Amino acid sequence: MFGDLRRFDIGRPQGLDWVRQLMDEVFPEGGPADIRSVPRGSFPMINVGRTDEAVRVYVFAAGLSAGELDVSLQDNVLTVAGRREPAAEEKAQQTHFRRERPHGEFSRSVALPDGLDIERAEARFRNGVCEIVLPKREELKPRRIEVQAS
Amino acid sequence: MNDITKHEAPREPAEREPRLETLLPPVDIFEEDNALHVIADMPGVSREGLHIEVDNNVLSLEGEVQLEMPEGMRALYAEVRAQRFARRFTLSQEIDADAIEARIDNGVLHLVLPKKEVHRRRRIEVQTT
Repeated sequence: MFGDLRRFDIGRPQGLDWVRQLMDEVFPEGGPADIRSVPRGSFPMINVGRTDEAVRVYVFAAGLSAGELDVSLQDNVLTVAGRREPAAEEKAQQTHFRRERPHGEFSRSVALPDGLDIERAEARFRNGVCEIVLPKREELKPRRIEVQAS
Repeated sequence: MNDITKHEAPREPAEREPRLETLLPPVDIFEEDNALHVIADMPGVSREGLHIEVDNNVLSLEGEVQLEMPEGMRALYAEVRAQRFARRFTLSQEIDADAIEARIDNGVLHLVLPKKEVHRRRRIEVQTT
């Protein structure tokens, strides 16, 4: 089974992110941050993985469907943008207890590695996750080099 | 004092072992038409991977994130680092647990928790004397 996200295992679990966010607020980072960086965990969350053939981007955009997510690539920067409507229209009779789900316009960018064949890129939506497959260019795929006996 | 350090030291690696990391789905909860509505973001969770349970007035929502991932994939960047969503809420007595409805659409779970008939909001007529 390779529905296993734990291979994305770098650093601390997401459950501790609020601690990090709190710490970031209290002690802002002194070092330079990427100019396009947003706080971790902004909507939609993004995972990027790499295989020998392709780079795969997973955009966790619950509530959106294929037509509603705008995916664009410029140089090596992938931008996903769109708009998420509130789940239910506001009515006078409603009492809200929690409002944690973000809604409204969003736009996020991630920098991808060099050497991707944008022409052959594909994207599909499933259960609120958009999977974007960006194949590597032929010349950049790993190659086996035969060692010849002399 | 010595006792405490003795207990703490061997426990640490053991605690780290069962790495059942879960994500906390963001929720909207509101009350409308004599029912509570719970809306939770669980991207990547299908109907089959969803598990909703009411036990002893505790509502638990659990969902397994199912993604197609080819073998040999390595992470370049990851914000979602678990493959399970889980969240629990305590319900009050007024909720009719047998009448809870759930549906999931594009990774958004919508739960309707109706109130029992006796607990519904009633309008009280103010009579003029």
